[in-house]
Parts: sequence; structure tokens; C-alpha cells
Amino acid sequence: MKKYLTVFGLSFQNEFTYRLNFILWRFRNVLRVLMTFFLWNSIFSQNRIAFGYSREQMMAYVFLVLVITAFVSSAPSNDNIGGEIANGDLSNYLTKPISYMKYWLTRDWSSKLLNLLFAFGEISLLYFWLRPQLIINSSPGSVVIGVLLCVSAALIYFLVTKLAVMVAFWIPENTWGLMFSFLVLFEVLSGAIFPLDVLPTLGSKLLQFTPFPYMIYYPIAVMVGKLSPAQGLRILLQSLVWLGVGIWLVNKMWKSGLKTYSATGR
Amino acid sequence: MSSVIAVNKLKKYYKVHQKEPGLTGSIKSLFSRKYYDAKAVDGVSFDIDEGELVGFIGPNGAGKTTTLKVLSGLLYPTFGHVSVLGYTPWERKPEFQKQFSLVMGQKNQLWWDLPAIESFILNKEIYEVPDAQYKKTLDELVELLEVADILKVQVRKLSLGQRMKMELIAALIHSPRILFLDEPTIGLDVVMQKKMRDFIKEYNRRYTATVILTSHYMDDVKELCKRIIIIDKGKILFDGALDEIIKKFATHKLLTVVFGKKVEESDLAAIGQIKEFEFPKAVISVKRSTASLAAAELLQNFPVADLNIEEPQIEDIIREVFTGRDLA
Repeated sequence: MKKYLTVFGLSFQNEFTYRLNFILWRFRNVLRVLMTFFLWNSIFSQNRIAFGYSREQMMAYVFLVLVITAFVSSAPSNDNIGGEIANGDLSNYLTKPISYMKYWLTRDWSSKLLNLLFAFGEISLLYFWLRPQLIINSSPGSVVIGVLLCVSAALIYFLVTKLAVMVAFWIPENTWGLMFSFLVLFEVLSGAIFPLDVLPTLGSKLLQFTPFPYMIYYPIAVMVGKLSPAQGLRILLQSLVWLGVGIWLVNKMWKSGLKTYSATGR
Repeated sequence: MSSVIAVNKLKKYYKVHQKEPGLTGSIKSLFSRKYYDAKAVDGVSFDIDEGELVGFIGPNGAGKTTTLKVLSGLLYPTFGHVSVLGYTPWERKPEFQKQFSLVMGQKNQLWWDLPAIESFILNKEIYEVPDAQYKKTLDELVELLEVADILKVQVRKLSLGQRMKMELIAALIHSPRILFLDEPTIGLDVVMQKKMRDFIKEYNRRYTATVILTSHYMDDVKELCKRIIIIDKGKILFDGALDEIIKKFATHKLLTVVFGKKVEESDLAAIGQIKEFEFPKAVISVKRSTASLAAAELLQNFPVADLNIEEPQIEDIIREVFTGRDLA
């Protein structure tokens, strides 16, 4: 496993060489929190309770989104795998005793660590600037389950996005289209902008049958105590089912992709 | 010596989709696509022994690179049997992968934003090379390629030649027994090409590594390879020693004459085909069997100052083989 530790370290170093890129990416995340913060702030200036949330609960949700998205959706693999398949750079890895998917998973986690460090810094600054009142109504049990849900969320995110980028095996000229559509859906349907239970009941019921709420909404809902530890445990099990399905699909697609791979680009 | 690479009736066909030109063609291709089989490799067989240095030559699209890709496990063949070091390449077993390396002149594996030494360390871990062996190999390679002073420079800041040297080190850090080199000298200046060649020769000699090399530069092949395999349109046209090409394919010899006095070009036409005429020098191509006769005739009937009978250039022979014309 030492090889993956080395990949982790190198990847961490590599992130620093794209300083501007990184800062802009963080800026985008902070901006989103600010937007949702002021949006909810104005909604709560009229009402005590909106969509079943108190101001303090909603603010806690908004702030946690910053941390959870930093963890779940920081994934350099999304920007690289499609291109590497399309232009044949994948060959560099295929001839070596290393797993391509584990390699990129490692690089993603390296990026997650860096982003998480920054997200904690940002959230402290925002907290002292905006002075929101937060209610986090959770027991130690729900925090533990919430953290486990986060790990599962990050892995589900990895798998779903890999399904999108692996389309490059068959359609090399279109590596970004599907990924982009996914990212748009992800923003709206995962709970990164608003908690999903503000949607009409039918909508949030339907969403339960997709992997989206497992990527942002459920981990936060459990952590802030919107859902009980018992409910959280059930959701964790469902999340693991999605994880299993994702691993199975990615493996299948990877194997059949390699059969069509022609190592082009020379 | 035992063979380390055995290829038997290897075929690799690609499904290629044909698009009509223009926008209508693009729209049509959204709904129905015509496919045809491109026969990149079409029934190729050869064996290579340990320590051999073999050159693959052929025009673009001949199937050289595709063959290398099958040998290194990147592609699944359509048909045929391939064994490299006793392994089936496309199963991609780690024990097999630790024993070979594929270097593509137009692909880089180094981390672009970090110094090359970081990529070497990563490869050391990936291939699980013990510390002592890593240090020894790296020292040797760094000395052979004279790159000690640029190991810690960001790869993006290196020149193409320097980068190619680093690519080679990265590919050799696990001391592979087999080396597949695809156009290793492409884009390099003549001095660097020469250095690269010397290095490949030395590596092959020192470690009795088996090397397969493809190149567009005849010089690479002439200088390095005792054995060459000529491929065209997915088929092997020739497999053997370099000088046998001349025996097999050269039907003509070249007479280079320098005249002492003025000679009319038209008078020379009877001797053979005039390839070059620029007074006082002429190059005439004649059939091998009649070469000495033609020379005698020249000496008798023309004011000859100097006369040379030569084999044609190997490049010319190969070009003629590819274009399918008789050497005239």
C-alpha cells in the first residue's frame, strides 16, 4: 500500500502548483454559502419557521454544506480520467502494477484533505463575520453515523462521476457533456443549495430512490439532528447498498471499456 | 537461448466508423453509422530471444505500434496467440508488468509540475523496487545519461531532449528485462538522437535486456539492430538480418561515374537507368547480374575518371519495398 501513500503525498504537493486554480475553486464554494446564507436570511426575516426549519437549524445546514461539499465533491479525477482515456494517457497506468481507479481515488482523497483544511478555515472566518445563530441538535451517536455517511457519500460521488467519465471509452470526443449534466443535477438534487425536505413531499419521496440525497442531504440531516440516529442507521444501510451497486457498475463498465480501448493518440 | 516473446498469427482489427463529410454527414452519423474493420495487424508471427535488439520498421499505420501495444497488454487481440516471458500480456499480471517497460516517444508519464525525481520515487514504489537497488540503478542511469544537475528541476522546465532522458530513467527504474521503445528518438536533434542510440545499445549490452524498437529514422535501426522486421499493412514483409535485405530486395546496383570530358546524357541511356546526371557526375542503376558488364562498357566507351559500384541505400530499398515497385 506504500505506493498509494506516495501517490497521496505527490498529489498533495501537486495541488500547490495550481494555486490560483485552487483559490478560485475555494472562492466559488464560499460564494455559494454566502448566497444561500443571505437568501435564507431574508426568508427568515419574515417568518419564524419556514419549510419546517427554524432560522438556527437552516443556518447550521448552510454552514455544514460548505464542509461536506469540500469533502464529497473535491475530486480531481473528474477533470482527468475522461481526457486520459480519450487521448491514450491511460496506457501509462495500464502497463504498470497499479490500479488506475485506486490511483485516482487516492488522489481524490488527497485533494479532499486539502479542501477540508481550507473549508474549516473559511467556516471559522464566516462564522466570526456573519455571527449566525446555529442549532445543532445531535447526539454523539448521530455524529458518528453522520461521519460514516460522509465517507460513503464521497465514495458514491466518486463512483457516479466515474460512470459519467468512462463514457469516453466509447465517445472519446465527448468527455465533458455527461459530467457537466451530472454536476448540475448534483448541485440541485443532492441538497447542496437547500435541504431536500423543503421540496413537496412527492419530490423528496422520489429523490429517495436516487443516489443524490445520499451525497449531501442525508449526512447533514443526520449530523444536525434533523433525523434521529435510528433513522440515520437505516439510511447508512441504504447508502451502503448504493455503494455496492456503484462498485458493481463501475467494475463492469471499466472491464468492457478496456475491451474497446485502443490506446490512441500517438 | 530461449525465446522470451512468441507471437503466433496475431490479428488486431479495429471497428472504425466512417463519417460523410460536412454537416449533413455529421447528422446522418448520429443515426446510422457505417463501420468497417481496419486490419491494423493481420496475421503476424515472430519469436524473439533474450537479449535481442530488434527493429520494427514500416510506414505510418503499418501496425508496428499496435503490435507493441498488444505485447505490453494494452490491447486485446482479435485473434492469435501471444506469450511474453511466459505470460499473456492482456491479463496484466503484476509479476509480468514488473519485468517490462513501454516507452512512447510522444507520451509522457512524468508528473509535469514536479521535478522528475518525484516521479522516479513514485515508480520505485509502484514497482516495489528495494531501496538499495533503486539507489544503484538510479545512480547508474543518471551517470549514463548525464542528468545529475537537472533531477530536481520541474519537468515542464526541461527541454524535449532532457525530458526524454528523464522518461527513459522513469521507465528503467525497475530494471525491466524487456523494453518496448516506440519512436524513442522522435523530435530530438541529431546529437540527442545519437546519445539516445548509444544509451539503448549500452543498456542492451550491459543488462542483456531484450529490446524492440520502432522508428522512422533508418539511422536508429541501422546502428542498433542486427535483426529487423519490416511490417506493412499489418503483414510482415521481411524478418531477418539487416544485410539480407539487400540480398533479398536489391535487384540493382548503382554505378557512380565521374567523367573526365564532356558526355551527353542521351548516350548513357543504353547502359542503364540514369538516376542522376550533373556533369561531371552521373549515377546509373543497372541490374545486379549485368553490373560488371555495364562497368566494363562504361570504361571502354566513355572518358571515365572515376567509377564506383555500390549497393543502393537501405532506405531506398525499403521505400521501394513499401511502394511495391521494382527497384530500378
